[in-house]
Amino acid sequence: MVNPQNIAMAEQELESVTDLFNRIAESCHTKCISTKYTQSDLTQGEAVCIDRCVSKFFEVNVKIGEKMQKMGQN
Amino acid sequence: MDFSRFNQAEQAQIAAMIEHKQMKDFLRLYSNLVQRCFDDCANDFTTKTLTGKEGECVNKCADKFLKHSERVGSRFAELSENMQAPGSQ
Repeated sequence: MVNPQNIAMAEQELESVTDLFNRIAESCHTKCISTKYTQSDLTQGEAVCIDRCVSKFFEVNVKIGEKMQKMGQN
Repeated sequence: MDFSRFNQAEQAQIAAMIEHKQMKDFLRLYSNLVQRCFDDCANDFTTKTLTGKEGECVNKCADKFLKHSERVGSRFAELSENMQAPGSQ
């Protein structure tokens, strides 16, 4: 038996994770990748930048979540 | 994302939904990449075909974006298994 609400919930979860991923990829590309494209591979600097960028994005995500929660309590 | 809390029938429908989304996502990636590499690489309008340099730029642009995306994906997977992102249960 298929509960359509469950499907809708799963779809929304997938949508929200995909959206988060795409936004992180976009932001970190802007912040870390030079648009001069001197080579096909990521440079060491770019690779490290990406690692740190993704990590910071998640931290910001959490911080904002906490702030919003406090807002909701007032 | 763990969908094991749903029954078989629901999981089948979810799998089909995921496949559909992946296809949409692939098309979006394609369109996005064309836009990006065009914007970043095609800047010489003294000719109507891509110059050699522009062509190489496009290749590197695409390769680089895909490698970037892959790396972001790895870090993303690692970090999201450690925390519950707000908005999901």
